[in-house]
Amino acid sequence: MRQGQLFRVTSIGVTWFWLGVFALLPNIALLLVAFLDKGETDFFIPVFTLNNFEELFSPIFLTVLWDTVRLAVASTLVCLAAGYPFAYAVAKASPRRRPWLLLLVIIPFWTNSLIRTYALILIIGAQGMMNKALMALGLIASPIEVMYTDLAVFIGLTYTFLPFMVLPLYASIEKLDPRLVDAAKDLGASSLRAFWHVTLPLTLPGIVAGCMLVFLPALGCFYVPEVLGGATNMLLGTFIKNQFLVANNWPLGAAASSVMTLLLIALALVYRTVNRRISGRERRGDMFVSGVEGGA
Amino acid sequence: MKRRIVACFLLLAGLAVFGAGGAVSALAASKGGKNEVVVYNWSEFIPQSVLDDFTKETGIKVVYSTFESNEAMFAKVKLLRGKSYDVVFPSGYFVGRMVQNKLLDVLDHSKLPNMKHLDPKMLGMGFDKENKYSLPYMWGAVGLAYNTKFIPKGSITKWNDLLRPEFKGKLILTDDLRDAFGLALQAKGFSVNSIVPKEIGAAYEFLRALKPSVRVFDVTAIKQALISEEVWAGPIWNGDFLVAREEKPELEFVFPEEGSIGWVDNFVILKNAPNKENAYAFINYLLRPDVAKRAVEEYKYSTPNRDALSLLPAEMQQNLILVPTEEVRKRMEFPQDVGDALQMYEKYWEQLKTIK
Repeated sequence: MRQGQLFRVTSIGVTWFWLGVFALLPNIALLLVAFLDKGETDFFIPVFTLNNFEELFSPIFLTVLWDTVRLAVASTLVCLAAGYPFAYAVAKASPRRRPWLLLLVIIPFWTNSLIRTYALILIIGAQGMMNKALMALGLIASPIEVMYTDLAVFIGLTYTFLPFMVLPLYASIEKLDPRLVDAAKDLGASSLRAFWHVTLPLTLPGIVAGCMLVFLPALGCFYVPEVLGGATNMLLGTFIKNQFLVANNWPLGAAASSVMTLLLIALALVYRTVNRRISGRERRGDMFVSGVEGGA
Repeated sequence: MKRRIVACFLLLAGLAVFGAGGAVSALAASKGGKNEVVVYNWSEFIPQSVLDDFTKETGIKVVYSTFESNEAMFAKVKLLRGKSYDVVFPSGYFVGRMVQNKLLDVLDHSKLPNMKHLDPKMLGMGFDKENKYSLPYMWGAVGLAYNTKFIPKGSITKWNDLLRPEFKGKLILTDDLRDAFGLALQAKGFSVNSIVPKEIGAAYEFLRALKPSVRVFDVTAIKQALISEEVWAGPIWNGDFLVAREEKPELEFVFPEEGSIGWVDNFVILKNAPNKENAYAFINYLLRPDVAKRAVEEYKYSTPNRDALSLLPAEMQQNLILVPTEEVRKRMEFPQDVGDALQMYEKYWEQLKTIK
C-alpha cells in the first residue's frame, strides 16, 4: 500500500514537474510578454500596454484566425468521416487481425511527420503522381494546381492528424457492448436507428476526444501550411512564427499565441463539460444494463 | 473507457515528444568542454564531405545547424546571447547589426593565415571596413529565373516584367524581406538601401501589385518549385539557379536591367562562443583554396577566395552567371544595414504577407 502510494506520488510528481517547467512557465512568460511593448533593439521593453491585443482586432489578424479555424474544422470533419468507419471496421475485425490493422495506423509515426509532409509534394505536385496519372488517363490536359493552395494544406492536415482521430474512436467503439445493439434490434430498431440511438451516443466520448485531438493541433500547426501552403492564405501558426522570427515583434506574437491558448482552454472546458454529461448518462445506462443482467 | 482514451492520449503525446527529441539532443550536444565546433549556417552552404574531412584532419567534431533567414538567425543568436554557437554566417547587412548588439568577437587575424587567399576587392566592405569582425565566405546575387517552356526566351529582362497580367498565380517570390524589397526598390528606380519612407512605400505598392501573381513565398524550395513547373518564374540566387538548371535545361536566367541584389555571407565568431580556438581552425580550414573550391563546385556561388577561383575548371571561371560581367556588377547593389528604417520594411512586409 505504502509502496503504491510512493509510486503514485513520484509518477504524478514527475509529470507535474515536467509540465510545470516546460509548459506552464513558458506560457506564463508568454502571457506576460503579451502585455509589454515592442522594443527597437530589444525583443520587448518592460512597459505595460494593451496595444498588442488591440492589434489583434485588426481585420488582418481576424482573417488569419478565421482562415485557420475554417481549415481546422474542415480537417476535423473529414478526419471524423473517414476515421469513424475505419475505427468501426477495426473494432469489429477478428481479434487475430485487429493488432495488424492497428499497426497500420501507427506505422506512419515511424517516419517524422515533416518528412511525410514533404513526401506529399511528390503526390500532389504539378509533376506529381496524381497529376501524371490523371494526364496519362487523359482526364486532364494540364496539371491541376494543388500545391501552394488551401486544398494542399487541407490535405496535409487531414493526412497528418487522421491517426489522432482513429485511435480514440477505436478505443471507444471497441468498448461498446454489442448486446446493446442486439437489444435495440430485438426491439425492432433498424440498423440505422440502432446506430443512431445506441452506437453513436455511446461512442460520443471517443468522437469528442478524437475531434479535440485533431482540431487543437491543426489550429496551431505551422509546418504543414509552411511546406504546402501558398501566398494567399496565412495561417495562425505561421503568423505567430513570423512575429517572433521575422517581424521582430515578440509582444504581438505572444498576444496572438495567448489568444490561441485561451481558445484551446475554452475548447478543453467544453470537452470536459460534454464528457461529464455523457459519462453521467452512461453511468445511469450501466446501472440499467447490470440490472437487466441481474434479472436474467 | 476514459482510461483507454487517456492511454491513447499519452501514446500520442509520447510520439510528439520523440519528434522534439531531435531538437533537444542537438542543443544538448552543443555544450562546451568537448572537442567540437558549433556552426550555424544557411542550408546548402558547406558540402557534407568538407565537414567530414575537417573532422578527419583535426579531430574536431562539427555540430551543425541551419537557418533560412538572417532575421531568424539573429533572433536566435540574440536570445541565446551568442552562447550556443561558435561560427555563424550572417549576410553583410546583418554583420553591422550583430556588432551593434555586441554579439561578435573581434577576429584575431594572426590565427587565420589562410585569409591571404581572399580577393582584396571583397575585403573592407561597407559593413565592416577593416574586417575586424567578419571575413567573406561566399557571395552571389539575386537575378530572375524563368522557364522557357512557358515564357519565350529573352522576353523578360526586367523586374518590372513580372507585373505582366499573364503571370497571375505563376510566380514564386523570395521570402527574404530585403531581397523582395530590394527588387521592388530597383524596379521603381531606387536604391535597395533606401531609408526614405516614400520610396519604401512605393516599393510596397509594387509588391502589392505583384501579390496576385505570387503563388508562394519561399527561400529554400525555389529551385524545386521551378523544376517541378509549379511556377513559371521568380527571383532566385544565381547559385541556386545553376544547380536547378542542371536538372532542368529549360530554365533561363537574367540579371535584370534595373539592377540585381548582391550578397556576401561572412564568417563571424560569437563573443560568447564556447569553442573559440576550434572556431578559428574551422574558418581557416574553409579559407584553404582547395576547400573553398569544393563549396563553389557544389553550390555554384562565387567565392571571394581568389586562389580558389583559379583552381576551378575554365568553364566555371567563365560562367557569366557565376562570375558576372563588370557591366552587371556595376548595376548590382549590396544591401546595407538600414538602421531604424528596418521597422518600416518589417511592417510593410507583414502587411504584404497577410493581406489578401
